[in-house]
Amino acid sequence: MTFRQFAYRNVIRNSRIYAAFFMASCFSVLVFFIYSMLLFHPNIDESVLGVMSLLGMVVAEIILALFSLFFLYYSMNAFLEARAKEFGVLFHLGMDERQFGRLIFLETMLIGFTSIIVGIAFGFAFTRFFFMIVREILHLDELHMYVAWEPFLLTVGVFTSAFMVIAYASIVTQKERRTIHLLRGHDEHKQRPVTVRRAVLGLSFIICSYIGMFIGVKLENLAFIIIVPLFGIVGTYYLFSDTLPYLLERFRLQKKYYWRSYSVISLSETIQTIRANVKMFFVITLVSTLTFLTIGVLASVSSYTTQYERLNPLGMVYKSTIDNPYEQQHIASLRNQLELDRLSYNLSRFTVIQQTSSYTKYEVEVFRESEINHLLFSLGYPLVTLSQGEAMFIPYSEDAISDLQNYTVRTVLKENSIPLVIDSVYPEFIFPGNFVSSNSIIISDEDFIKIEQPLIGTTFEQSAYRLYTFDVPQWMELEHIGVAIDAMVEQESANSLGYDLPFYFENAGLNYSFVLATYSLFTLIVLLVAAVFLLAAGSFVYFKMYADLERIQKHFDVLRRMGLTDGELHRLVDRHLMPQFFLPWLVALVHSTIVLISFNVLLEHLVNITIVDEVIIGFVVLITIQIFYYYLIRWRYIAHIKSN
Amino acid sequence: MNRVPILEVKDVTKVYEGKVTHRAISQLSLDVEKGEFLAIMGPSGSGKTTLLNMISTIDAPTAGEIMIEGIRPATLTKMELAHLRRRKLGFIFQDFHLLQMLTLEENIIVPLTLDHYDVDEMQKRVTALANSLGLTDLLTKRPNEISGGQAQRTAIARALIHRPSIILADEPTGNLDSHMSREVLELLSNINQTQQATIIMVTHDPIAASYCDRVLFIKDGQFFNEIYKDERRQTFFQRILNVLSLLGGGVGDLSSIRLS
Repeated sequence: MTFRQFAYRNVIRNSRIYAAFFMASCFSVLVFFIYSMLLFHPNIDESVLGVMSLLGMVVAEIILALFSLFFLYYSMNAFLEARAKEFGVLFHLGMDERQFGRLIFLETMLIGFTSIIVGIAFGFAFTRFFFMIVREILHLDELHMYVAWEPFLLTVGVFTSAFMVIAYASIVTQKERRTIHLLRGHDEHKQRPVTVRRAVLGLSFIICSYIGMFIGVKLENLAFIIIVPLFGIVGTYYLFSDTLPYLLERFRLQKKYYWRSYSVISLSETIQTIRANVKMFFVITLVSTLTFLTIGVLASVSSYTTQYERLNPLGMVYKSTIDNPYEQQHIASLRNQLELDRLSYNLSRFTVIQQTSSYTKYEVEVFRESEINHLLFSLGYPLVTLSQGEAMFIPYSEDAISDLQNYTVRTVLKENSIPLVIDSVYPEFIFPGNFVSSNSIIISDEDFIKIEQPLIGTTFEQSAYRLYTFDVPQWMELEHIGVAIDAMVEQESANSLGYDLPFYFENAGLNYSFVLATYSLFTLIVLLVAAVFLLAAGSFVYFKMYADLERIQKHFDVLRRMGLTDGELHRLVDRHLMPQFFLPWLVALVHSTIVLISFNVLLEHLVNITIVDEVIIGFVVLITIQIFYYYLIRWRYIAHIKSN
Repeated sequence: MNRVPILEVKDVTKVYEGKVTHRAISQLSLDVEKGEFLAIMGPSGSGKTTLLNMISTIDAPTAGEIMIEGIRPATLTKMELAHLRRRKLGFIFQDFHLLQMLTLEENIIVPLTLDHYDVDEMQKRVTALANSLGLTDLLTKRPNEISGGQAQRTAIARALIHRPSIILADEPTGNLDSHMSREVLELLSNINQTQQATIIMVTHDPIAASYCDRVLFIKDGQFFNEIYKDERRQTFFQRILNVLSLLGGGVGDLSSIRLS
């Protein structure tokens, strides 16, 4: 048997222990590879995918690589420590440090290469399926399978270097650990003492970051919102390293509660677990928080889509200046396309004039009663009847309806000296926000005719504009209408010098299909990353359990002899496993809830949507999966303990 | 006077079914009376630990019957067995088996917490016991901060705290040096005399056995011999050695030498 064979057999014959670890690394290679296949696809670029999803995928790739690196390193170390006795024997038999290094290196690379190969093989097999889904989501005609060297090279390169880094890091870490302890197995390592100062610091950092988050959102200050999480991150680390152990130790002094039943055993075990796994808890918390937040973003996009119709009651809106030379041509082409696609529509045409209100001294946009009624009729909304001298607010958002309800303004349109009483608000949301100003009113036809003078200092052409609204019942099928005009508007919007076209166009259906595609792709990305993460975290706990099995078995054997019943054993196992499983999640849940609450405040303010329902659904699903996973692991765990 | 035995073992047989069927204990009987200090000796693989496991109700006999204070463990449910163990039995192990993350004080009270004792009562018992075993100064220490002798004293305190009927010790001196062994054995014998505690000890060590009232020898799962304590420990020790030499060599071996 050569040295290489020895390393090989070490892995193969421990395959049961390595299985969970191997699977998790295979899966992360797989997901990484599939993403790179999409990223390097010749037909895919920003215009197809959207900047948001593209960025999302790159971020997902980076997180995957970093998380794999950490996860693999930590698992490897836990496993090597469990094998300390075995290495002790080898050292006694005369293995030297260099051979030890080579052994670890060979073993790691063996697992590494196998999982890279298996991961890429499965990844390649699943790519076609993945492309099919993406094609459906993006409504592409074709997303053909292709073979290029880039995705392979990227995946192999990233993961090979990851495994190499891990192998070297593990060797160094193990060397430091190993002295006389070898034959005795791993005893408790020297741990940094818990200090009150850091305990308080951890808690106050977290509280500060929470408060800071709310203040940042209130002020809508981006710099604030970026700095605050740093406090949160540091605070989280101290929370696990000092605050929690400190609080639990304090609780330990309360014998009245602490010496109750087996909480003596479980509490001390929990402290031990937390202190020994600070880094793992910390990273899992961060990644979970990130996952939860992404789900939050997902939820906001999803609620944006469900609330889309409410926010965009009109199918298409075309806004034009009076002197727009393309006006007739564009409207004709839009109508033409609608007819070609056999979509029924109702066109309303508005001439909106700007006037100065004597009440606010600001400009106000004036709509004509009969024109508005034309649109309201086609929408099936209640019509407006105004007599001379009366006016009505047009709500610029849902909230505005209730805000303006009991608001009465007596004003005069200065230019033409038309006195008005504005004492009501139209009870429905009609125009999407970016078309009409927040200061828009409807006046009666009698008053409207009287408007003869334009806004002071301008001509009629400058102070008025025309609005064409297409009310299309099947608005979701509008994605092929007005694409050319939309592209012009889109291009001009990106112009840093300002918007300079004589028209503006919005197609709710086209935007909707884009939003929907982005949303679905985003969901796909997040789901895959969340799956990798879930699998890794679970396999890690399982793996640690395996490494620790001998000690745990002995531990429970002693307790069983002392008269621990089966029921008590189960409860004790619960108390032992639950912190490992749920503590980081709980902290992450609190973190992300706080962030999402403030995010919700911001969203409600900016785009008038709320994400509470979607976030709750997302969280409940995740928690259900986690609980299911927990019982799976717990079942195996108890089986192993009892098999003794 | 007719003394009722606290532990009765009647014709107990234990067979392990497996790829190779193995008869660990065969037709073994023994009685232990209250206040007795019994040693069980025998070579490796003679079934000592199996016997002890059956007495501690962790393992059930294949045939025969065990009775602890008139209770038949075989008739009890798993739950009742656990309760029986936590109230009637105390355990001392070769490698102490103290729970690493607990302080000594907490280790000692574990059996009481399992039985939901009152905290004041627990505190009272720990203080008294620690005092008599000389552990008072060590109570806040962790198991990895103390010597083997101190660890075993803690384990003994843990075995005594719930005032069990029988204390079962599995090689309690196996991991200790001679000085610490003596300390522990004197402690056990002291507890046996002053508190009328019943102790059953499995051991390899003839010196340890010489502290007992009676030594039972088993070989290959069967009863081999039994000797009682006499006035002087020295002569008792000598007699134990004599039996051991027979046990180790085997009667057949000796006679065959004579024949050739």
